[in-house]
Amino acid sequence: MANTPVYIICSPRPQAGKTLFARLLSEFLLLKNGAVTAFDINLKEPSLLDYLPDITETAEIENTYGKMQLMDRLIIDDRIAKVIDLGFHAFDEFFKMTEEIGFLKEAARRNVAPVILYMPGPDRVSARGHDMLRRQVPPSKLMVIDNEFVIRGEMPAGLSHGRMLSLAALPTFLKTYIDRPNFSFTDYLRQEKDSSTELHEWIRSNYLGFRELDQNLTLQGS
Amino acid sequence: MAKPAVIVVGADKGGVGKTTVARTLLDYFSANNVPTRAFDTESPRGTLKRFHSDITEIVDMTATADQMKIFDTLNAVSPSVTVIDARAGLLSPALASLRDIGFLDAAKTGQITFAVFHILGPSIASLEEISETANFMGGAKYFLVKNFINNTSFFEWDQSTYNSYFRRIKDATELTIPKLNEMAYEQVEVASVPFLKFVANKGPQDQAANYSFVLRGYVRHWLANVWSEYDRIKLTDIVGTSKASAARAEDK
Repeated sequence: MANTPVYIICSPRPQAGKTLFARLLSEFLLLKNGAVTAFDINLKEPSLLDYLPDITETAEIENTYGKMQLMDRLIIDDRIAKVIDLGFHAFDEFFKMTEEIGFLKEAARRNVAPVILYMPGPDRVSARGHDMLRRQVPPSKLMVIDNEFVIRGEMPAGLSHGRMLSLAALPTFLKTYIDRPNFSFTDYLRQEKDSSTELHEWIRSNYLGFRELDQNLTLQGS
Repeated sequence: MAKPAVIVVGADKGGVGKTTVARTLLDYFSANNVPTRAFDTESPRGTLKRFHSDITEIVDMTATADQMKIFDTLNAVSPSVTVIDARAGLLSPALASLRDIGFLDAAKTGQITFAVFHILGPSIASLEEISETANFMGGAKYFLVKNFINNTSFFEWDQSTYNSYFRRIKDATELTIPKLNEMAYEQVEVASVPFLKFVANKGPQDQAANYSFVLRGYVRHWLANVWSEYDRIKLTDIVGTSKASAARAEDK
């Protein structure tokens, strides 16, 4: 039986590429499954809500009511993939709360498959965040995202163990192009006839990586 | 048959969380398969009765008939553990009554296991209660419970003052009940079910309920911390039952 995947995109630092990654993944899941629900817990940073307003809900975890609104949705096995764009300011509180309420354990019971997609930088805060996650999250549910635009070289030693997914850097002019609020990756694939463009290849390569990730996740425990 | 055990949960001050602690004890014994009965002395309407109606009886501890109901049946009934939730202001009078009927002597000679969970509030008055209660504690296990569940800060306490009171009682043991998320606490109140049933997402009649997963998680986490305190003091050994930790409701 397939699981309901929950992708938690996070970093303890700003400007790690979380929203870009969440946009890409959400558009891929929308294309593949026809439905996805995204949650934006990123109110102090560039927001997923600005890019994908039709599928994105805002959430806050600063109070218990907000936590209930979010987590009681995430734990439902409705076969609709969820994407969480977790702002850096909410990183500590979110994982403190998930550990306390036993989110991973309950998710396993309910056929929900969360995966933590961790987007580090080359700094000490990122290393500490990763250590904390490794203590809390089983290796099969933790994946480090190597955002080449942020890491710019070798991934720091402590972060390079375990599962990893790369997000290739784009030239600055293309980065500016995709950062426009009305830009859609899937629409670009559909509309751009020349499949050899750098952006076309970049999107396809990422979608390919997501397909593998999604397959592994939805079939976990099947 | 196991030696009967009586646990009195009380304080002379109101609003310090006596019933909450009594509820955690009943859940703890239930999870460890220790047959337990309870008496709620908040006559005529008891809060403990609302949460554990199946095993709780409301009594007036100052009435002889009700004292007989509790203490004359200690050896006769099957649950070997009796938990008494003594309402505010009743702890010292109740202990005096127990002394008068010879119960404390029976505890001293080892015929009965007797434990008192004295719930402390944040005021110096609470500390003064300790010395008053201590006079009755000859044959009892005496537990001083710092209850943080309603975010008590114990602000009036000076550690050296507390220590001077604490030292007056031989063999008293301190327990700490941590804080529970307010909304979670409130929801359990509204649901009127034992903490264990709330965690298991069940209603009063064991029917499926729809409590928030987040709030259940907070209660589960908190209850585990409370129980680890009871494990620390070896509560199941005190009441004379071997612990069946595998049966813990957490895993049920």
